[in-house]
Amino acid sequence: MSGRERLVLDLEDGDASRRAVDLRDRGVDPVRVAAAVREGIDAATGADGGGDAGDEGDRRPVVDCRAPRAVHDHVGFVRPSMSVRIRTTLAAAARSRGGETPQDETLAAVREKLAELTVPEPPNLDAPRERLAGTDDAVDRIRERVAALRGRVQAGREAGREVSDLEAELAEATRELGERETERAAAQEAVERAERLARESRDARERRRRLEDRRANLERRARAHLVERIRDAYEDALRAVPGGPDDVAEPFAVDGVTAALALGRVADFRAPVVVACDRFECPRAVAEWLEATVIRV
Amino acid sequence: MLLVVSYSRAARGTLRNICRTHEEVVVRRFGRVALLAETEFAAFQALRLREKHGGDVQIERTRPFNEYEAVDGSIREAAKAYEDRERPALPYATFAESTGYPDPERMRETDL
Repeated sequence: MSGRERLVLDLEDGDASRRAVDLRDRGVDPVRVAAAVREGIDAATGADGGGDAGDEGDRRPVVDCRAPRAVHDHVGFVRPSMSVRIRTTLAAAARSRGGETPQDETLAAVREKLAELTVPEPPNLDAPRERLAGTDDAVDRIRERVAALRGRVQAGREAGREVSDLEAELAEATRELGERETERAAAQEAVERAERLARESRDARERRRRLEDRRANLERRARAHLVERIRDAYEDALRAVPGGPDDVAEPFAVDGVTAALALGRVADFRAPVVVACDRFECPRAVAEWLEATVIRV
Repeated sequence: MLLVVSYSRAARGTLRNICRTHEEVVVRRFGRVALLAETEFAAFQALRLREKHGGDVQIERTRPFNEYEAVDGSIREAAKAYEDRERPALPYATFAESTGYPDPERMRETDL
């Protein structure tokens, strides 16, 4: 693309116009055009847009249009061998048409609770555990030594031998045992303290997990509701898609482009749809079909 | 045994996968909790889970409960007698008072 002028499209006036822009002979990269629609004008011309990317960035296409709705993420760029999550997209399409569900209010409340929930960082349990494990061994070792020395002192005394050296050694070992036991008690306490903090952290995590489960459940039900609402319209569109299947016995098992075109027809777009497939005679016809502004690449 | 508890959806998913892949280490799985065999391999799997999900995973080691070792005979007898009581609505505290079985408050304060 070197030497070419930067492509700038002004499509701010929205989709009511159902304009069709044909870029097929401009040699643009479809992926870049789709990205330009998603990112909007701010990203393309912002302070970070050109500088960092150098010459490359300066030639990125710019599409000045309204911010795409969620459904655009799924079917805003129609291209060969694309794959579409049909149910998810149907729900997004229903939302684009202002669809609501009985779950919306509860869902918003659950989301808000989740956003407010703070989960304390778990304490470091490794270090105190490791320390405790070491002290246990140390206490056992020195305790065995004390017992052995005691036995030797006893035996020496009974045999009438001089035991003062052994006694001194025993006293030293006994003192060390005391120290080790103190150390172990401290390590034990450190573990218990960390465990208490861990429990608090887990309580919060448990609350969060329950809320997340609840959110997922509500989202599933909301999606099912939305899909049900828009399913007939989708199947009608599927029957009429150029190059689509002869019968729609399995509306959720159709090829990506067919699905995208049918889904796009039932969705209400706010931003231009980038189309890179040959199902229609001309860009104008795609725009009419999708009832949206179309950039044909 | 090793008691492994997950505290997030992601950790639960990984725990489920581990249990599916390594059935031999699983003694029992209850939703987001699993009891694993006491082997190095089970410990390895549990540690791997914790490595991946951090504070969302709790690992504890359980030991067999032997009521003849862990508690006094009076506790075992109290449990048996209370389950055999004639009035189902009778609270244990009242039952203990009239029969001389261990006081619930005292039991609460006594560790095993």
